[in-house]
Amino acid sequence: MANMVTLTIDGKPVTVPAGTLVIDAAKQAGIDIPAFCYYEGFSVQAACRMCLVEVEKMPKLQPSCALPAAEGMVVHTETPKVVEARKSTIEFLLTNHPLDCPVCDKGGECELQDMTFRYGLGESQFLEIKHHADEKQWSPLVFYDPARCILCYRCIRVCDEGLGVAALGLSYRGVSAEIIPNKGDHLECDECGWCIDVCPVGALTSGTYRYKSRPWEMNYVPAICTHCSNGCKTTLSVRNGEIIRSNNRDRSGINGEFLCVKGRFGFDFVHNEERLQSPLIRKDGKLEPVSWSEALKFVVSRVRETIERNGKFAVIGSTRTTNEENFYLQKFARQGLRTNNIDHHRSGDVITLVDALAGRTDALATVGDLYTCDAALVLGADLAQQHPLLAYQLRANWRHHRSPVFVVTPGPVREDQYAARSLRAEAGGEVERLEELREELKARQNLVVLYGASVKGEAVRRLVAFGDSLGIPVKYVCLVDYVNSRGAVDMGLLPHLGPGYKPVEIPGMHLDAMMAAPDLDVIWVAGANPLEGGREFASKNAFVIVHELFLTETAQRADVVLPSMSLYEKNGTVTNVCGEVQRTKAGPKVMGTKSDLDILGLLAAQLGFDIGIPSQEKVLDEIRRTVRGYNVPLPVLATGGAAQAAVLNGNVPVDAQPEQVRPSGDTLFTSGTLGKYSKRLAQLMEAPGRLFQP
Amino acid sequence: MPKIQEILKGAAAIAKGMSVTIQEMMNPIITDDYPDAPPVFQERYRGLHVLQRDDNGLEKCVACFLCSAACPVQCIYIEAADNTEQERISGGERYAAVYNIDYSRCIFCGYCVEACPTDAITHGHGFELASFNTSTLIYRKEQLLAPLPEGATGKVKLDHPVAVGDGGH
Repeated sequence: MANMVTLTIDGKPVTVPAGTLVIDAAKQAGIDIPAFCYYEGFSVQAACRMCLVEVEKMPKLQPSCALPAAEGMVVHTETPKVVEARKSTIEFLLTNHPLDCPVCDKGGECELQDMTFRYGLGESQFLEIKHHADEKQWSPLVFYDPARCILCYRCIRVCDEGLGVAALGLSYRGVSAEIIPNKGDHLECDECGWCIDVCPVGALTSGTYRYKSRPWEMNYVPAICTHCSNGCKTTLSVRNGEIIRSNNRDRSGINGEFLCVKGRFGFDFVHNEERLQSPLIRKDGKLEPVSWSEALKFVVSRVRETIERNGKFAVIGSTRTTNEENFYLQKFARQGLRTNNIDHHRSGDVITLVDALAGRTDALATVGDLYTCDAALVLGADLAQQHPLLAYQLRANWRHHRSPVFVVTPGPVREDQYAARSLRAEAGGEVERLEELREELKARQNLVVLYGASVKGEAVRRLVAFGDSLGIPVKYVCLVDYVNSRGAVDMGLLPHLGPGYKPVEIPGMHLDAMMAAPDLDVIWVAGANPLEGGREFASKNAFVIVHELFLTETAQRADVVLPSMSLYEKNGTVTNVCGEVQRTKAGPKVMGTKSDLDILGLLAAQLGFDIGIPSQEKVLDEIRRTVRGYNVPLPVLATGGAAQAAVLNGNVPVDAQPEQVRPSGDTLFTSGTLGKYSKRLAQLMEAPGRLFQP
Repeated sequence: MPKIQEILKGAAAIAKGMSVTIQEMMNPIITDDYPDAPPVFQERYRGLHVLQRDDNGLEKCVACFLCSAACPVQCIYIEAADNTEQERISGGERYAAVYNIDYSRCIFCGYCVEACPTDAITHGHGFELASFNTSTLIYRKEQLLAPLPEGATGKVKLDHPVAVGDGGH
């Protein structure tokens, strides 16, 4: 335990670890000290002078963001002297700040506006004409208005320290000083847009939200980002059923304020004009729009007829649907269609890991563990490209705690910048090089191992054996690629495993076998695109039912296309890469679509399948009661928290089918089908995959 | 005897009443001849809103949503959009692409006018709003806008945006 010091702030005694800044100590006591340049988690700037406080026995006012708390210190935060100083600070900040709040996007949620209302004078002593500089567009997503900038350096610090991109800097001096992007007139970076969010004024504005609405006009919906598997919480700002922006200013969720370009800007696929809004049926070789009732009736008649003549079904599930939908889908297939031919696109070998760690508790890492672990080992994955939140957590851990990161990858990755050691190894051969790191890893107190899709099958077992031989607590993360890839495995969208890794009696066909089987009668694809890249079903005459958002390659082959909802439009839970279950809520609305749960529920009712009520709450209740490890506490989910599913408690005595594991190959700027229909991601100069190397 | 008294009393009452009538006949008329003649309004009468234009004919409204926020009955609906160099609609950086007032809800309180930072929305003297169909009571921007000043097109290409309140103290 660190040394504790006790100080008095506004008459309240506060005990904090030595070295804590007075501004943080005050926050702990429930006292808010205003500040523009101070930002929790980043280096101290002490540039704005807004957080000045009076400390007894110190002759001048002190900036509380740069003042470590000391034993016996007596701090006053709201004395007349302090208020006077803050008033003057605001007056100086407003010397050149234009009073264009009515047209400024930040108006209504602007820290400078709030502070002006709290302390500011209605009038200024400065009568000179304000210094003006024209607004600039740095990228399709970032605009900068130097006139509004108060030079707090928050954007520079999050970009440099937080992400390691360092795309922003300061140029010129005095009144002409302004923030400059790394390419002089434009930005080349991760385009994450965090700089826009941290800006306390309206100097940095978002190209997507720009002049669209005002903060009080929108509804805020807590959702989980539907792109990668990291499961960042994003708060959707919705107006009239349309997403206008997406950010997480309230720092709720496992990601705090962090979001990547896909989370912050990649939501526009929802309102793409190519979204399917009515069911399609193939008539005379062409897909024609029909009503929902006609489409469902058609599906029911074909499915019933196939069941009656004992036809063969195959079901391909989605990695982007909720746990409830996945659970219901496998129940629909196993109990309704009476087939175990069910699979999904697997992007990481979770099954072998669960088997190899059988009987242990606490061997799977959470996103939070990445920030608190004593060392981390990354095998065969480019975290900055594919798992931006995990990369951010590791970097933050290194920044704040100096915890080393060890990297074994086929090519150079961004983590090399600060990694304690970076080794290069052929894809699939990463585990072989671990012996070289043994001594360094042994010296740490604990370790988190993250491995990508190239480590699968026996390599996972060797990796766990290596971890055991180190003699320190080791936790693992099996990296998977899509938002609910992990949930799809846990919910049993597998031919040989039911929900909770329970082996089924007669295993069905896996994905490759389904593709190659020549005698399937009905292929049911619920939100996946197995025909991507020109592949084909070997069953030429199979009746293909597809739930999709867009007319993908698979939907074009379909006989019936049912327009489904994206994750942003429905309620449910998803499981992220670390097995953390989180709840997502419905934000926007797209006319004519139905959730996969509703589609399956309506069909089950018409087909007479007795598989339970298709309501999200009822299915979640069943999951919590029946699926191993999913008895997660509801209050945690309800309050927007993440609860890790404890799936480790027994052997999984099946072949893990590691050959079925195929990485998606997505980058920071692509996201499978959804990314293709996001115009904003496509228009970036960095797309589809160039990662900026500082 | 009581009968004469009664007659005199009645006559006195009539005379008293008629004196009021005759006095009022001498005073100027204060009621209007509406609908035969147009009504006369006080300057500050709060009638149908008018969205004002500036001297160039550009719309004054910059779609800041303050009127809609101030409105106690939520009858103002706005959609904002960005002015482009090719087509400049308002003096500020943004303009109201959609501006609707629902007169079946408006209570003519004038809060929107007070809230407006650019004096774009004002109360006019229009009052003939009655309709047999409530859907016609939602007035669009085109119905609310002031007529263009003489010779103006309402679409002006400026060298730089006019910042609202720039240099104001």
